[in-house]
Amino acid sequence: MKKIFFVLILGASVVMAGQDPSSVQSAGKTAEPQFKVLSPWAEADPITPRGISTRLNTLAGKQIGLFANFKRASRPIVAEVEKHLKAMYPGCETSLFDSRGANVVETETNNREQFIAWIKEVDAVILAVGD
Amino acid sequence: MDARSAASSRGIPGIRILGTSIPCETNEKSEIETGVAAAMDNIIAALTDPLNADEKSPKQRFEKPARIAFTGSYEEVSRYFYRKGWTDGLAIAPPTEKAVAEMMTGTDLPSDHVVVKLIPRLGKATVEKIAVNAVMAGALPTHMPVLIAAVKTLMDPRSRFDTFGVSTGSWAPFFVVNGPIRNDIHINCGSGALSPGDISNAAIGRAIGFNIKNIGGARKGIEDMGVLGNPGKYTLVLGEYEEESPWEPLHVERGFKKEDSTLTLFLPNTYIQTIPRDTNAKGYLETYASLNPGSMSCLLVVPPHAKVLASEGWTKKRIKEYILENSASPFPPVQGGRGTPILQTETGIDDLMIVVAGGPGAWIGLLRSAGGWENSFVTMKIDLPRNWDRLVAKYKNVVPAYVGY
Repeated sequence: MKKIFFVLILGASVVMAGQDPSSVQSAGKTAEPQFKVLSPWAEADPITPRGISTRLNTLAGKQIGLFANFKRASRPIVAEVEKHLKAMYPGCETSLFDSRGANVVETETNNREQFIAWIKEVDAVILAVGD
Repeated sequence: MDARSAASSRGIPGIRILGTSIPCETNEKSEIETGVAAAMDNIIAALTDPLNADEKSPKQRFEKPARIAFTGSYEEVSRYFYRKGWTDGLAIAPPTEKAVAEMMTGTDLPSDHVVVKLIPRLGKATVEKIAVNAVMAGALPTHMPVLIAAVKTLMDPRSRFDTFGVSTGSWAPFFVVNGPIRNDIHINCGSGALSPGDISNAAIGRAIGFNIKNIGGARKGIEDMGVLGNPGKYTLVLGEYEEESPWEPLHVERGFKKEDSTLTLFLPNTYIQTIPRDTNAKGYLETYASLNPGSMSCLLVVPPHAKVLASEGWTKKRIKEYILENSASPFPPVQGGRGTPILQTETGIDDLMIVVAGGPGAWIGLLRSAGGWENSFVTMKIDLPRNWDRLVAKYKNVVPAYVGY
């Protein structure tokens, strides 16, 4: 596509096809060249968003999954959460998934089947990110 | 914001995310006890409070970016781009239609060809978008084949760029160029190869940074959670000084032909330099080992040292074996023992590479990473366009000619 630049001569406007960038002259004085520039920001495919699961009425008697991510703080955090849950909701059970992959989606690791089996047996999950 | 961005990019923007007062990565029991106790009511509420409308049925938010971003003076364009978060903080060259078209003469691929989708946003790295970012960085059309290969290496799962590109560890992509293209486009392999002043080393790395930011959508402090940051993210590109090396070049070691042009990627956290303990092979080797290269590291050996070592029968492989045998602890456990670097081989020999580079002098360089996480070096062939010879001739004279004084 050819660029268009505007030249103003003694108050009269003349439209000319010319080089890039466009430039503007006014009363014999050359103004700053103007640049029409392309966006560097890329398009991404739209993602259809999903709603989150219906919440539980109570944690009493439920099986709560505790997912500890790879970072060192996550394991003691979920242990502490477990202690509180059991104190607050007698009959509440917990199940730990101790992830050792470095920031990878669990379903993309060798633990995929184990993870899927684990997620099916719990009523809710608390995930601790130890960052 | 990072967690929210990650959830949205996976199509679950409503995930309930809670912050705590627990200091990052702490394993102090008292801090964790206090932080969890304070967060418990919110944790329980997050699991039991009924969903609101947005959480039940989140709306799709999609906006196709306009192709033309802005019209203005040079200064206005540069500031507009800076304010949009599209730059590295320095002024950019305006990516006009004409400049981008010229940039795309560096490839035979059509402008709308999607080379890869770059993480974290999975933005489409079309040829045109790569060219726009290349123009901004001050690159030449002869850099396009390298830039196209670069985004492919980043998205090769072996590089683990999906983690390292946005990690708290501020890992910077480091690229080694091998083969004839080094001389075609004047990649500096010699004196000051990692210093500013050479358009190819500078602009290729800068353009890759723009691709990561503007195509991948890695925004600093949102997705890119680098804690300290890394000056290598401006650019970290050099060529292996094959002509001055007594050993086979890196790409040949990695299975390519000598006449192939290739790009090798890995992501270090740190670049260190030192001088040898003694000016002989023993002194060089002891110093290499003392640097304690971690898994996924690149030792930079200057040509004079390489020649001394080779004259005494030292190959790249033997040097790596020596380093691994004599380092204090090249692959220490990480994350308080929760993780152990996952090496490509039992000895770790394939987690260390040696590149001959640099000018006359006695320095030793090491690009070191904090550990191996199921990642490996990635080498790819650089595909050249049909008009390559003409392009090279056109831009061959774009070289600095210093003023004599």
